[in-house]
Amino acid sequence: MAETAQLSDEFLRQLSAVGEVDVLVGIPTFNNKDTIERVVRAVQIGLTKYFHRDRCVLINPDGGSTDGTPDIFKNASVSDFEIMLTSNPLRTFHRVSAPYHGIPGKETALRTMFVAADLLRAKACAILSPASLSVTPEWVESLVRPAYRDNFDFVAPLYQRQKFDGLLVKGLLSPVVRAAYGSRIHEPVASDLGLSGNLARHFLEKNIWDEDMTTFGLEVWMTTTAVVDGFKIAESFLGPRIQPASQFGQDLGGTIRQVVGALFKCLEMHESYWLPRTGSEAPPTFGFQYDVALEPLKLSTKAILDNFRSSIGQLVPVLESILTPATLADIRQMIELPDRQFRCPDELWVKTIFEFAAAYRHSVINRDHLLQALTPLYRARVSSFILENVKAPPAKLDQRVEQLAEEFERQKPYLIDRWNAKPGGER
Amino acid sequence: MQANPLWYKDAVIYELHVRAFCDSDGDGAGEFKGLTQKLDYLKDLGITAVWLLPFYPSPWRDDGYDISDYTGIHPAYGTLDDFRTFLNEAHRRDIRVITELVLNHTSDQHPWFQEARSSLDNPRRDWYVWSETPDRYQDARIIFSDTEQSNWAWDISSKAYYWHRFFSHQPDLNYDNPAVRDEMWKVMRFWLEMGVDGLRLDAVPYLVERDHTPCENLPETHDVLKFLRQRLDRNFPDKMFLAEANQWPKDVRAYFGDADECHMAFHFPLMPRMFLAVNLEDRKPLVDVLERTPEIPAACQWGIFLRNHDELTLEMVTMDERDYMYDEFAKDARAKLNLGIRRRLAPLMEGDRRRIELLNGLLMSMPGTPILYYGDEIGMGDNIYLGDRNGVRTPMQWNGGWNAGFSAADPERLYSAVISNPLYGYQVVNVESQRRSEHSLLSWMKQLIGVRKSTRVFSRGTMQMLRPLNHRVLAYVREFENEKILVVSNLSSQAQAAELDLRPWKGTVPIEMFGGNPFPRIGDLPYLLTLGPYHFYWFRLRRL
Repeated sequence: MAETAQLSDEFLRQLSAVGEVDVLVGIPTFNNKDTIERVVRAVQIGLTKYFHRDRCVLINPDGGSTDGTPDIFKNASVSDFEIMLTSNPLRTFHRVSAPYHGIPGKETALRTMFVAADLLRAKACAILSPASLSVTPEWVESLVRPAYRDNFDFVAPLYQRQKFDGLLVKGLLSPVVRAAYGSRIHEPVASDLGLSGNLARHFLEKNIWDEDMTTFGLEVWMTTTAVVDGFKIAESFLGPRIQPASQFGQDLGGTIRQVVGALFKCLEMHESYWLPRTGSEAPPTFGFQYDVALEPLKLSTKAILDNFRSSIGQLVPVLESILTPATLADIRQMIELPDRQFRCPDELWVKTIFEFAAAYRHSVINRDHLLQALTPLYRARVSSFILENVKAPPAKLDQRVEQLAEEFERQKPYLIDRWNAKPGGER
Repeated sequence: MQANPLWYKDAVIYELHVRAFCDSDGDGAGEFKGLTQKLDYLKDLGITAVWLLPFYPSPWRDDGYDISDYTGIHPAYGTLDDFRTFLNEAHRRDIRVITELVLNHTSDQHPWFQEARSSLDNPRRDWYVWSETPDRYQDARIIFSDTEQSNWAWDISSKAYYWHRFFSHQPDLNYDNPAVRDEMWKVMRFWLEMGVDGLRLDAVPYLVERDHTPCENLPETHDVLKFLRQRLDRNFPDKMFLAEANQWPKDVRAYFGDADECHMAFHFPLMPRMFLAVNLEDRKPLVDVLERTPEIPAACQWGIFLRNHDELTLEMVTMDERDYMYDEFAKDARAKLNLGIRRRLAPLMEGDRRRIELLNGLLMSMPGTPILYYGDEIGMGDNIYLGDRNGVRTPMQWNGGWNAGFSAADPERLYSAVISNPLYGYQVVNVESQRRSEHSLLSWMKQLIGVRKSTRVFSRGTMQMLRPLNHRVLAYVREFENEKILVVSNLSSQAQAAELDLRPWKGTVPIEMFGGNPFPRIGDLPYLLTLGPYHFYWFRLRRL
């Protein structure tokens, strides 16, 4: 049994009253008053529709919201749906909300959920983002069912994204995971996912909770750890994913530092697993995949390029210590390209990422600075991708993403060479 | 018997089949003489009323519910004198007697129907419901869906269809005909004057039919009941009508009227939810149905039960609840019958003594008059290989000897084989063995009934539901006059803790009713109780 210092007395009291459960759904929150009610209603309807015979609990570890989020969570009602539901829940539906102990943040919230899952001996869990605008009751079934009924341990979501949404995932995170770990998970940093109770308990037993890992990018760690430790992975199609509008580039540096930093750290932790691996395979997919027309994200490539050019100049000395001369030379050439012809070829992008990963591993410079230096290069890559595909239909775009992923896989030997090279070798 | 017009509220009723109880003449079936011999057993158990399944002359195609003579005794059960002797002996022991009155239909062998079908001009023609086509009353559901395809049957004699809500050999009486009402009152009068204390009105929702209705619970049906009740009150003020109306609570409510129809009615929807709650380990099904149970007139009473002579009916549950009950309690498809499960209490609980006790604890502490089914007090088993509902109507198991002590006849002559499997067979499960042990189920049931009867709170009190956070614990307070009883039940297979908000009863001391031991005084803080698997407490709350 895991340590329970994570749980407040009130939370523990509520969980004790719930008792053993079959399905635990968690929605970690912090000031999500605008979206939380919709998510809670979707979850409750989903559990009633698809798991009406099972013992279920909806948990809300809250990081100290000041906008009334926990009250909205507790009071969200589905009474207007009752006549539409074809199922009547046989059991008491439990909804538990309590602030959690520890440093506010997603990692503490997730740890609290895992502790709760362990205490309640949950057979399957789902984690849902409190900010999703497109969540439906069917998401609950899609994420829980493979773990609860089909013996999978880690259920990653498959979304239909808006055009040009998720470029960091498609253009860096997912293909690196694919190339290194051999698993073609499309969404390795998802905030909506399903997992078995066994996997939740496994995560809890790992000695990472007090480490730096927990201050960023826990999702990457969960995904890669599930792969490395031999758990059964699946993907489940959820449908369209619409998030609240946000400006591209808003705190991009912070995001890259978190998720790419976590990715590189995971490569470091798991090197004995991925270094000898070759090839990749797709996890089984659940759900009927369909497309709906989605408004593409509107991004200004000029603004992104301007941002890139204005920041890259100062970073050249830093890049000299990270990249090989050949790669840096290619980048310098790229800087000079006029906007309309601006391209960051797949091959260059992949080499850049792999050289950054190796440099991170060797700590050639302060890791935070290293990751900061990646940010403008990422902007360059995004601009190139958009310019190249502005008129491409969704199927063509998917093909391009697949081509990029294949390039990452093809260059894995290069990553291995850079990774194993002694510091002070060719730069 | 002492006059007590509300005797039924405080009763503990025992339902039995005369044929199944005790055979004194060695013909292989029970009868009234045998039953009379067992009255001391019932008295000792704590029973205050017996409800007898039909014992009238009948071709027995529906185990006596197809009556061919309303004012006789089937020869297999004895004579009218035997019945009178039984009645008197029961009364001598302060046990009241409730008999069946199958109002809705007769056997097709009843002289009334024989006359009615003989010609279109016969004076009794209009005592039944006829039609030239089977197209009327299309909205009425078929109740015995396993065996009947229609509510109409073709009568070859009179070349017309007759209406039957049950088996086709049970034609429905026509209550639109005043002569039928008058005659049925005469039937009632016959038995009530003899001394019978109550009449269970079988299948009462179906008395009247109207086009474009489901032919159930119609206003005209209630008019019939009011008619009968008026005469009852005028002539027999301490007798009782018990309605068998398998309906949702709000629809059953109508059968009490304004205390001018039936005195009692079965609470059908409560029964399966007791099983659901214990199997789900969740009080929700019980709380939901109790919240939906309407108030009834002060002189009226719910009849509550766990099992009876029929299948465990799943008509008054949702589809999901029904599916769940089938999956959990009728894994062998043979256990299913119509819309129900034809198993006894003990096999439904897989012989788990703790769960059997818990369910009986719920039965004895919930609002209403408890009705025990014969044999369940010793944990009798059933036989799903027998047809219809006969598997729950096997001979009473009195001892481990010849024919379970039920009959001296050759075993092959018994009306039904005794249960003889290793789990529930008469060698293991019988009254004699259990009498010898104060730790037996029978002894425990006797104690339970005794504790229940020690107070009127259970039979007449209000109920206030408590809602501890722990959904596996069902807790409520019953109050009557100045007495208060706290009932706390653990519905789960694991030990549980529950904190109860008992501040309204602050300052009182809970006295556990089976052992008499005091528990800590109730204060301002949540009252913590821990319960073992399937355990329950009854506490008398006393100000000391």
